[in-house]
Amino acid sequence: MVPLYKVENLTYYYPDAPQPALQNINMVIEEGEFLLVVGGSGSGKSSLARLLAGLLPDFYGGRIGGRVLFKGRDIRHLDRRTLAGEVGIVFQDPEKQLVMTSIEGEIAFSLENLGLPQAEMFRRVAEVLGFFGLTRHKTDFTATLSGGQKQKLALASVLAMQPRVLILDEPTSQLDPAAAEEFFNLVRQLNEEMNYTIVLVEQRLERCFHLADRVVIMERGQIVNISPPGDSAAWQVANNFSYIPPVAAFFACLQAPVVPLTVKEGRRLLNKYKLFPEQEGKQRVMPAGSAGKGPGGRGVPAVEVKGLWFTYPNGREALRDINLHIAPGEFVALMGENAAGKTTLLKHLAGLLKPWRGRVLVAGLNPQKVKPRQLARVVGYLSQNPGDYLFQDTVEEELCFTLSNLDLPGAGRIEGMLEKMQLTCCRGNNPRDLSSGERQRVALASVMVQGPQLLLLDEPTRGVDYGLKAVLGKLLRKVAAEGTAVLMVTHDVEFAAEYADRIVMLFDGRIACDGPKHEVLCSSMFYAPQLSRLFQGICSSVLTLREALECMGKREIYPGDCGDSMLQEEKERDEKYC
Amino acid sequence: MQTLHPGAAVALILVFLLQVLVFSHPLYLAGSFGVIFLTIWAAGGLKAMKNYLKFALWVVLVVLAINPLVNQSGNTVLWQSPPLPLADRLSVTLEAVLYGAVMGLRLLNIVVIFCLYNLIVHPDRLLNMISRFAHKPALIISLSTRLLPVMAASLNNIREAQQLRGVDFSEGSLKKRLDRYTAMLHVLMISSLEDSLQMAEAMQARAFGSGPRSVYRRDLFRPRDGLCLAGSIFSLGATVYCIINDLGSYTFFPQLGSLFSNAATLPALAAVLSGLTLPALLSWGWNWCRYIRLKI
Repeated sequence: MVPLYKVENLTYYYPDAPQPALQNINMVIEEGEFLLVVGGSGSGKSSLARLLAGLLPDFYGGRIGGRVLFKGRDIRHLDRRTLAGEVGIVFQDPEKQLVMTSIEGEIAFSLENLGLPQAEMFRRVAEVLGFFGLTRHKTDFTATLSGGQKQKLALASVLAMQPRVLILDEPTSQLDPAAAEEFFNLVRQLNEEMNYTIVLVEQRLERCFHLADRVVIMERGQIVNISPPGDSAAWQVANNFSYIPPVAAFFACLQAPVVPLTVKEGRRLLNKYKLFPEQEGKQRVMPAGSAGKGPGGRGVPAVEVKGLWFTYPNGREALRDINLHIAPGEFVALMGENAAGKTTLLKHLAGLLKPWRGRVLVAGLNPQKVKPRQLARVVGYLSQNPGDYLFQDTVEEELCFTLSNLDLPGAGRIEGMLEKMQLTCCRGNNPRDLSSGERQRVALASVMVQGPQLLLLDEPTRGVDYGLKAVLGKLLRKVAAEGTAVLMVTHDVEFAAEYADRIVMLFDGRIACDGPKHEVLCSSMFYAPQLSRLFQGICSSVLTLREALECMGKREIYPGDCGDSMLQEEKERDEKYC
Repeated sequence: MQTLHPGAAVALILVFLLQVLVFSHPLYLAGSFGVIFLTIWAAGGLKAMKNYLKFALWVVLVVLAINPLVNQSGNTVLWQSPPLPLADRLSVTLEAVLYGAVMGLRLLNIVVIFCLYNLIVHPDRLLNMISRFAHKPALIISLSTRLLPVMAASLNNIREAQQLRGVDFSEGSLKKRLDRYTAMLHVLMISSLEDSLQMAEAMQARAFGSGPRSVYRRDLFRPRDGLCLAGSIFSLGATVYCIINDLGSYTFFPQLGSLFSNAATLPALAAVLSGLTLPALLSWGWNWCRYIRLKI
């Protein structure tokens, strides 16, 4: 039987690129398969997705060698309309995929492009609207939809074309955890119940790793491994890769006979093999020192908020009676559902919004009573989009821009910051030409160069791969250790569990809980990291892989020292990123 | 009314607009205002109209106050000022007052027509209709409409990012402030160009430009749409008849003419307005008469 895709000796160069984006790719994809593609930034994941969708080299140009066969025919010889009807692709940012003003019009747009007759279009639009539960909202303005709804609409408008293959290029990177979960449930339904072939490029592996039939690992434009998820997890641990969800990483480290992919499977395995810590049956609590408290309590508080209330002009109460105290050197993660008021609180601290009631002090200053320039010396603010910060010709000029605005001397500061952010090697490059991780570090450097006492970050790990997250996390810990208070809005539970000291949860404009990360996350039902859920009732203070391994007293159970090898791998990765 | 086919709704609006622009007869303008009011009422838009009128009435008052002072034509002098230092005496004439009032009425008509347009014509449905004849311009309008709020939000984000990097937009000379705003627009432009490439890629992946397109018709053409369209066409015909026979015009200067100078004035007015009252009548029928509801 002819496979759906057959890629033979494929190498591809983007126009003017000296290095290939894809190199010697050979793979076969069968119909109905669910393929998960993982890898670091610039490893070629998105290029592979574009290749399978027929966009390379058709849209981008460039040089290509080898061939891609779709149902036995060379994809480059297929008519574009036919291919678009067979292969659908959904990209990262829904904002950059939607064209029309109404939901119904957006879904119909794809069908109009295929030149379908009215009756057929009407049938398909009606079916898709019904499947996605959008019928009642069909006339809604697309610009006013939430991020999750927009991505669902992007998927719906691709599905209306009734393709046989669905390629998803990091479709949940812009979504909050609940919306991402809902999106993956839809994808699973399409694969399991409708036999869609799925090629998913993704960074948030804990939600989709177990859904895949095979996992493709990419590095430097090459496929380094293709295997089922369990085997892939074991292979990755053995070969120092870390594109695995925490539960799989944990059991692969323990060299368990089978690598479970979900908390349920993991728990079953723990029970079956009696893999309990020494104090079986009793709750084991980690020592208090492991809670990772920051060096708080010194000098003037970095943040002091008392009785803060804020209502938007449309009448929505965004913040209600917020009281918050952050000491210098504390690393705090601000979590909560969408529209809980997280960004609104951040903007009050940055002086961008004026409180309706209550008091806000940042490093002893009232943000509303000082000049923007004075405030900028003590507060660094990195918004969700690093692109908003980059407009100078070189990385160095980007840092100079901030310093010259604040009348601060550049000598020494720029060098130090470039070194700290591992950007010395690209100081003369245009920031827009850098990779996404480097761009983010340039943006961070441009708000850090003045040496702020408070660093505010709005979802800094959105769309960032595992490797870069580790680099960013360590960087932020270093910044906090030097005395800068860090307040980070994030949906990334695993990142907060690994690097933050303290968690503040907002719900409907109010602080629902505030405390050390172990106290807050371990007792949470939906915000607990995977390993915390795995160890619930066994060891009450496990959040990270290291803590899980410590809790197990692993060395006595299994030979080998994969915890150390993973740490070594992290070290190598840090060095690699410059 | 909101579910009226965009073709029928636009035809109604255009005929109303044509009438208030070509007629100067006070009865015709007052009649048009009455029918538009009824249609807005039927569309459940009285509250929206109140907001439009709040603004328009002030402008009308200004017209009423200024026109008699600057327009010195007319024979019937109501008031004359004492001699002025640099000008002759100012005269306020009955003709100028009434002319100002009728112009104010015309302005009110135009404002309420726009209110009616916003109430009964959904821009997206109108765009869908236009795309049958000109799909590329319709697509550009759609993209711009969708991207406008996105770009406004981006601009705000960029301004905030710059402010926290020490840029004070309210400080310095005009040139310095302009430079700061230019830098902000520069960031927006670079980001927009990057985004447009991704948008183009997504459109290509959805087969845009792969060959002749078809057009998805979202709106049904129901009997009521046919009736409303027929009414608008009838009214348009009557309007053209009035223009040819000079029935919709009125003489203000030098002396006010008779409101009923021509025996055909009132029958023609009835013909002009009758076709346009159909949407309001059908809306009433839809709400209150089961028979009409079944038929339309």
